[in-house]
Amino acid sequence: MAMSRKVLSVMLLCALALGMSCSGLASAGKPVTIRFISLAWQTQAIEAVKAVVAEWNAANPSIQVQYVQMDWGSIHDYMITSFEAKDVPDIFHYESIPIIDFGKRGYLTDLATLISDDLRTDVMPGAWETVTGSNGAIYGIPFLWESLIVLYNKDLFAEAGVKPPTIDNPWTWEEMRQAARLLTKDRHGDGQVDQFGVAFGLKSPVNRVFNLSMGFGGYYFYDQNGKPVIGVGDAEKELLRILLDMMYVEKTASLDGVGLSGPELFPGFFAGKYAMLPGIGVWARQQIVESAPAGFKWGVLPPLKAKTQAQGSTTQTLSIPSAAKHKKEAMQFLEFLANRENMAKLALGDWLFPTRASSLDLPAFRKEEGGWNIATESARHLTLAPWQKVMGFQEFKSKVATPLFQQLFANRISLDEFARRMETEGNRVLQRYQ
Amino acid sequence: MKRNKTTARAVMFAILVVYIVFLAFPLVWLVSTSFKPAVEIFTRQATIFPRRLTLENYRDALGEEQILRSVGNSFKVSTLSALATLGIAMPGAYVLARRQTSVNKLVAGWILTSQIFPTILIIVPLFLLLGRASLVNTHLGLIGVYVVWSLPFVLWMLQGYVRGVPVELEEAAAVDGANNLQIVSHIVAPLVLPGLVATGLYAFINAWNEFFFGLVLLKDPDLMTIQVHLARFRGIEGLARWGPLAAGSIIATIPSLIVFAFLQRGLVSGLLSGSVKQ
Repeated sequence: MAMSRKVLSVMLLCALALGMSCSGLASAGKPVTIRFISLAWQTQAIEAVKAVVAEWNAANPSIQVQYVQMDWGSIHDYMITSFEAKDVPDIFHYESIPIIDFGKRGYLTDLATLISDDLRTDVMPGAWETVTGSNGAIYGIPFLWESLIVLYNKDLFAEAGVKPPTIDNPWTWEEMRQAARLLTKDRHGDGQVDQFGVAFGLKSPVNRVFNLSMGFGGYYFYDQNGKPVIGVGDAEKELLRILLDMMYVEKTASLDGVGLSGPELFPGFFAGKYAMLPGIGVWARQQIVESAPAGFKWGVLPPLKAKTQAQGSTTQTLSIPSAAKHKKEAMQFLEFLANRENMAKLALGDWLFPTRASSLDLPAFRKEEGGWNIATESARHLTLAPWQKVMGFQEFKSKVATPLFQQLFANRISLDEFARRMETEGNRVLQRYQ
Repeated sequence: MKRNKTTARAVMFAILVVYIVFLAFPLVWLVSTSFKPAVEIFTRQATIFPRRLTLENYRDALGEEQILRSVGNSFKVSTLSALATLGIAMPGAYVLARRQTSVNKLVAGWILTSQIFPTILIIVPLFLLLGRASLVNTHLGLIGVYVVWSLPFVLWMLQGYVRGVPVELEEAAAVDGANNLQIVSHIVAPLVLPGLVATGLYAFINAWNEFFFGLVLLKDPDLMTIQVHLARFRGIEGLARWGPLAAGSIIATIPSLIVFAFLQRGLVSGLLSGSVKQ
């Protein structure tokens, strides 16, 4: 009896050990799957991301990446819901302004101690600033950024005898205004302008105007006893005055732009209705390459100079939620995704700039084709937008700034009224977040 | 007098034609865009018919994006949720129509108030509930949500149809020994068949067009529904991959058109029969 008990115990132990080793084998053999939400949407960008994921999956059978494509319009609600329900992707693609907010709420992993030295030193300091919280935490890897460029129609310039500026000798805003006068024409002689010097896409004006205003020294957000306050003074008004004068006094800027975004002006740009499209995102060049009629000749002008050529900019980011199940593996994949070659591939696919200095030095970003050489030059002037880390900016933007800009550009309110209301209504919103 | 009548008919006919053109134009434009190359989509000299026909957009939509699987997922989820909604709503509507109790008023209140909650308010608790039941990232969970979402309105509509059925028929069946279940399934349901078709189509379309629950509750791309899939063609600043989006939308419309084609007669008579009380 005692013997049979011993035998039984040994058998049980053996079975247990076998079971444990089997389960160990099973878990060792089963790959970790990380879910990666990507917002790449242009054809070449999707192909670039898929290629990088496929390369990783082929080389890393134990860590498989599941690529999930999502759209920019849905990502915010999707992530908020995922954070609250604690069912999150392991990596998600977004932009620097909201991820600072997510980070402050504790939704994101601080990557400061996880990032390799290579990545830390190669990504430009200005890009790191966009994802660094006030506590020093890094809430994402900034991997792409964009500048605002000026697109122009080469044939219309040649016809009007306007010589495009060079990188070394860029136009001032005043010089651009003069060129716009030469390029504005009544081709049919019926008293109606058929060709405008410029069209500004002002459908979503806030970020565009704020970013460009930095060249005039207009920052909109100022520090007052450690708290952000909105101020609209002469520096902020300078750019607005130029835009309003060009639209309503000189009539060299088409009013079409008041209700359209920059890329939505492309049909008119292709048809020769506008000679220049200032303040358009650098990524939009891909749309020209894909959609412009054969023989359409276009180019990129260097950033316009106010006091400086500085532009505020945000970055596109890759973050790991704090509730992610496989943070270590996610970080390994992120290092691969953001290495020199892959970051360059992703940037070229999206027609944006890589944030790694070594990637930006690659010949692909210096070629003339697609206006890369001049567009890349504009990246030198990118700087952290001061409003990026202001709590309540999104609410201020949607409830105060956007409607006021739209009224201003539709010429329904004066510049002074705009300034007064931006300050009073905007600061009222910000106070709630302090 | 006769001339006046002819003129009136001609005017009515003209108005009808204008109305049909008004309704059909977006669809015609969508079909046309799906066959246009990108150069013709981004032009100020837009034409109704493509100058150069291309199948590139369909190749894009069908090839790289695996859209057919999403169409299949949507069809499965929409059909099953419509059937389940009807399965629950039919007996419910019968009770509401035939048993006049104080519960009826409560139910009516619930039906109305359930329609006013925005989706974003309930999505997190709903997600947590489904998560506990292991129904997140499953079609079954999504079907359950769609059933609950459509049920109040379907119930409300169906009870109107049931009230239109003469009670005498049910009494005759009861005299012949039929129980309540038999009365509902053998007497009432066949008589309100047009109503079942109309409300079933409503539930189907509701599920077919729904976006946000599909986006949040299904994590696996293989389970994705068509509306979530189509959103991926959208870009930023009002841009989209218009050609593939148009082609994808056409492909996505085909299954619901087939359903409509089969059930159209029932739908029309169903809508009419529910409008008049006997």
